[in-house]
Amino acid sequence: MRYRRPGLDIASHALLILALLAFCLPVWLAFTAATHDQASLYTGTAPLWFGDQGLDNFRAVLSEPVSRLGTDVTRLLLNSTVMALGIACGKIFIAILAAYAIVFFRFPLRRLCFWLIFITLMLPVEVRIMPTYKIAADLNLLNSYAGLILPLIASATATFLFRQFYLTVPPELLEAARVDGAGPWRFLKDILLPLSTTNIAALFVIMFLYGWNQYLWPLLITTESDYMTIMVSLKRLLSSADNLVPWQAVMATALLAMLPPVAVIVLMQRYFVKGLVDAEK
Amino acid sequence: MATLTLDALRKTYPNGFTALHGIDLAIDDGELIVVVGPSGCGKSTLLRMLAGLESISDGELAIDGQRVNDLEPAERDIAMVFQNYALYPHMSVADNMGYALKNRGVPKDERRRKVEETARLIGLEELLDRRPRQLSGGQRQRVAMGRAIVREPKVFLFDEPLSNLDAKLRVQMRIEIRRLQKRLGVTAVYVTHDQVEAMTLADRLVVMNGGHIEQVGTPMHLYERPASRFVAGFIGSPAMNFLDARCTGDTLTLPCGTRIAAPSSHDANDHAVCLGIRPEHLSRVAEADDTTLTTRVELVEPLGADTLAHVRLDGQDDPLVARLDGVQPVAEGDRLYLRPDASRLHLFDLENGRRLDDKDAHSCPSSPSSRLA
Repeated sequence: MRYRRPGLDIASHALLILALLAFCLPVWLAFTAATHDQASLYTGTAPLWFGDQGLDNFRAVLSEPVSRLGTDVTRLLLNSTVMALGIACGKIFIAILAAYAIVFFRFPLRRLCFWLIFITLMLPVEVRIMPTYKIAADLNLLNSYAGLILPLIASATATFLFRQFYLTVPPELLEAARVDGAGPWRFLKDILLPLSTTNIAALFVIMFLYGWNQYLWPLLITTESDYMTIMVSLKRLLSSADNLVPWQAVMATALLAMLPPVAVIVLMQRYFVKGLVDAEK
Repeated sequence: MATLTLDALRKTYPNGFTALHGIDLAIDDGELIVVVGPSGCGKSTLLRMLAGLESISDGELAIDGQRVNDLEPAERDIAMVFQNYALYPHMSVADNMGYALKNRGVPKDERRRKVEETARLIGLEELLDRRPRQLSGGQRQRVAMGRAIVREPKVFLFDEPLSNLDAKLRVQMRIEIRRLQKRLGVTAVYVTHDQVEAMTLADRLVVMNGGHIEQVGTPMHLYERPASRFVAGFIGSPAMNFLDARCTGDTLTLPCGTRIAAPSSHDANDHAVCLGIRPEHLSRVAEADDTTLTTRVELVEPLGADTLAHVRLDGQDDPLVARLDGVQPVAEGDRLYLRPDASRLHLFDLENGRRLDDKDAHSCPSSPSSRLA
C-alpha cells in the first residue's frame, strides 16, 4: 500500500533532499578545499567554490612524498588496498572452510568448536591487542604486509554467516553429490561455492570496508612509512604540533582514500544487495 | 545389470534406536522391487543403506555377490533418484546429468554424447541448457531420472520419486519409470508409501512394518494371500474390512448371526478369529438371508466405474466399505444387504495377526527362483 497525498510527497522529498545535502556538503567542501592553496585556506572561511590549483594538489600528493609522511599517497593507497584485499579474501577463505567443517563433517567437539568461534564474535580487536602485538612482534611481523593482514584474518561473523547459509542447503544435495562421486573437496568446489557467490560478494564488500578502515592495528604494527596505511597517515597529517596543517593536502588525501571503497561498493553492489535480500538459492 | 543380496541387515542408531531388525532379501537381475510401508517403518533407511548414505550396523549387503558394506556411495555403482529431485540448482540440465561422469573422468566429448543420448531417451533434448528452476516439477523429475540413467549404474534406487508431483503427472511418470526400467533392464529398488504405485510398478513387493519385512511377493500374491492382517490392510484400496468372527468346523459365525462357509485348510477350529473381506468382494443382494450382512449406508462415494458405500453393520458399530459395480441407487440411511464372496475370505489370528487359512503364506517366496517354481 502506498499513500498518495501531495503534502506527504513534498514533505518526504524535502526530508530526502535535506539528508542528501547533509551527506554531500562535507564531501563538496573537501573537494573545493583540495583545489585551493594553503594560504587561501587560512583566511578564516571555508571556501565553497573551487580555488586556482585545479587538480595540482591531487597530483602532488600522489607523486611526491608528502611532508611528515615520508612517502607519497600512491604508496599509501597501495598499502591500504593490499591490506583490505588480504583481510577480505583471507576472512572469506577461512570462514568458508571453517563453516564447511562445522556444518558438513561430524567430528568430536564439533559443537564446542562452533561455540568457541561464536564467542570470539564478542571480543573486539582492542581487547586482545596487547597479546596479539606481542605475538606479531615475536614472529617478526612488524612492518610487513603479513603483520597487517594475518592478525585480522579470522572472522567469527563471516564463519557464522556461512554456517547459516550452509544449513539451508538441502542435505539431499550433498547426498546426490556423494552418489555422483563427488568427494568433500569437489562438493565444496562444484556445488557449495557456486551456490554461495552472492554471500561471498556481500561479505567481500563488508570485509573490504572493515579492512580499509582499520586504524589501531596498522598504527601499532607499522613504524616505517613504506607499510603505513592511508587511514593512519591521514591522522598523522592532521596532528602537527608546531606547523600549520596542510589542509589542501589533507582534503586531497581524504578524497583519494574514499575512492577504493566507493569503487568496490559500486562494482559489487548488485551482488551485495542480492546477497542481503535474495533468499532464492 | 546386477543382483542384490541383503543378509540380516540391521540398523541401530547411536541413541540405541533400532530402525531395522534384520532384513533378508535377494533381488534378481533386472527386477523392480518396491518397498512399501507406513512412515517410520524403516523403508527409507533401508534404501539409504543400499545407497551407502547410511552405515550398516550389522549384516551383509552384496551387489553381484560382492560385499559392499564399507564402500562409498560412488563406489557401489548405484544411482539414486531423490524425492525432492536434489538437482544442482546452479548447473544446467546437461551439467546436472553429466556431473557423475565428469567426476569419473569421462572425456568431455563422450560425456556430451551420453547426455544427449539419454536426453533423447527421456525427451529432454530441448531442455539441456535450462536451469532446474526454469523447469516444471515433472521435467525436474525427468532430469533426476536422466541423471541416474546416464551413468548406466548397476542398481537404480528410487526414494519416493513421485510424491511431489500432482496426481495426473504421477500416473504418467509411473508408467514411464516402468517402461524405462524394463527397457534398460536395470535392477531397481523403489521406495514408496503409495500402495497403488507399489502394486502397479513392482515385480515383487516388499511390505515393511516396524523395521521388519512383513511379506515379500508379487503384487497379486500379496493381494490374494496377504500373510498378515497388516499386509491385508495395507495392500488394496479401499482397505480390507475386518470383522470379528467365530470359527466352528467349516462355518464362520459373525456376532450379528450371519454364517459363512469358512475357507478350507485353516487351523482355527472353535476359535475367535479376525475375518478379512475386501470391499470389492462384497456384493449387493436384494434380499437378506443368513449368509448376508445387513447394513445401513452412511456415505456414498460414486467413482463412475464403481461406487464405494461406507456402511455400518446393523446392531454392531463396525464400519465397512463395499465397492459396488457401476452407479448404484443407494443413498445415506438406506438399508443395504451385502453378501461376502465366500471363496475370497481371509482369516487372521486375533492375537498376532498371522494368516490362518493358508500355511504357504508364512513361508513367503523370498527369492525369484522360488517364485517361479
